[in-house]
Formats: sequence, C-alpha cells, structure tokens
Amino acid sequence: MSSQMIFFLAFAVIAIACAVLVVKLDRISHRIVAMAFNFFAVAGLYFLLGAEFIGIIQIIVYAGAVTILFIFGMMMTEHRHITFGNNPRRVHRILSLLGVGTLLGLMLYGILNLDLPADNEQFYGSAEKIGVELYGHYVVAFIGIGFLLTAALIGAIVIARKEAK
Amino acid sequence: MVSITLFLALGAILFCIGLYGVLTRRHLVIVLACVELMLNAVNINLVAFSSIGPFANVTGQVFTLFVISVAAAEVAVGLAILIALYRNRDSIDVIKHDLLRW
Repeated sequence: MSSQMIFFLAFAVIAIACAVLVVKLDRISHRIVAMAFNFFAVAGLYFLLGAEFIGIIQIIVYAGAVTILFIFGMMMTEHRHITFGNNPRRVHRILSLLGVGTLLGLMLYGILNLDLPADNEQFYGSAEKIGVELYGHYVVAFIGIGFLLTAALIGAIVIARKEAK
Repeated sequence: MVSITLFLALGAILFCIGLYGVLTRRHLVIVLACVELMLNAVNINLVAFSSIGPFANVTGQVFTLFVISVAAAEVAVGLAILIALYRNRDSIDVIKHDLLRW
C-alpha cells in the first residue's frame, strides 16, 4: 500500500466521520466544529490530488470564513434548545433514509461500473496555470462572480440590518 | 496513485450524508451547513477529474473556484435571511416556517 493510499484513507475516514457527526451530534457548536474538520480533511484531499492552490483557498474560505460566519449565525439565534419539543416524525426520517440510501446505491453502482482509463499521469494545477486560464478563457465569468459577490454583500447587509422605525 | 473511482465514491458518500441532513434536520443553521457539505462533495469530484481524470487539465480547478465563491455568497445571504427570520418570527425551526406552503 503506497503512502498516497494511506493518506487518502485517513482523509476520507476523517471527512466521512465528521460529516456524520455534523448530522448526529447534539449541540450546534459541536456540529460546527465537526464541519470545520470536514473542510480541513477535504483540503488535505486537494493537496493529495496536487491542487495546492485550491487546497489553500479551501482552508481560507471554508475553514476560515464560512465557519466563522456559521458561528455568528449560531450566536445570533437561539442555540440552547436544539430539540424543538415533540419530534415524532419517524416516517419522514425513514423515508428520507430510504431515498438517500437508494440514491447512494445507484451512484456507487454507476461509479464502480465506470470504465475509465486507469493510470493517467497526474496533472499539477499550479496557481500560474489557474490564473492564466481564469483571466483568459473565463474572464467574463470572473467579472460576473465579482458582481455576484458585491450583490451578495450588499444584500446580506440590507436583509440583516434592523428596520428603522 | 489512488484511483479516481475512490475519489468519486467518496464524493458520492459525502453528498448523500449532506442530503440526508438537509432532509431531516430541523435547525436552519444545520441545514445550511449540510448544504455546504454537499457543495464540498461536488468540488472533490471536480478536482479529482481535473487532476487524475482521463483528460486532466486545469478547467476543473477553475470551476472549483467558481463553486467556492458562489457558495460563499450563498452562505452570507442565507445567514442574513436566517437572522432576519429569527428576528421577525422568533424561531429557527424549519417546520414552523411554512407560510409559503400550499
């Protein structure tokens, strides 16, 4: 077993375990910490795949900014009473589990039967290549993303501020 | 080298865990967190194809950047809506917000 395989298994187990913890833990703060560790594990997978720039962006944006935003969202709302009284709907939960399980089974069946050529040589996407492609072919989409982020920033402020009496 | 099939399977598993969380959790913050998990699973697929896929090139990583920025905008607006909702309706239980349901 190669060292890459060992690292892949470690990161995959951490990612899946933390994703399950996000769904299953009791307190909101613990769930958000589990989500942050999931983001770190996915960033490790990106480093393993030779996509260093994406991995660093993942750590900065997801494990840094998005997690902090979630912590603010948790603090500004009610987070002590996570159980909302009576929660009987077992039928809903079982139906969701069945549906998601069927979807997962179908996807895994398709993926494992996929006939991909093995042993391609690994492509290392450096920041320079990404930048050339981003400012070359995708410059219009890049400007569009800039407008989208500006609109999201202004919209978030407008939505979340207190209404003036 | 790790086969690309394993990365695709990992992405599928993470996506399904996130989808289950979105369908069953009742706390709005956790629903948003599970949406983030699903977007992350998609990003794993994109980077895996971009790095060790049959036609490995840089396009998948560029699209991953786009997905990450759209996800960041989505989280900002989503949490702003959540705070406004909590201020006006005094609850963040998903089930209680059924005003638009027919």
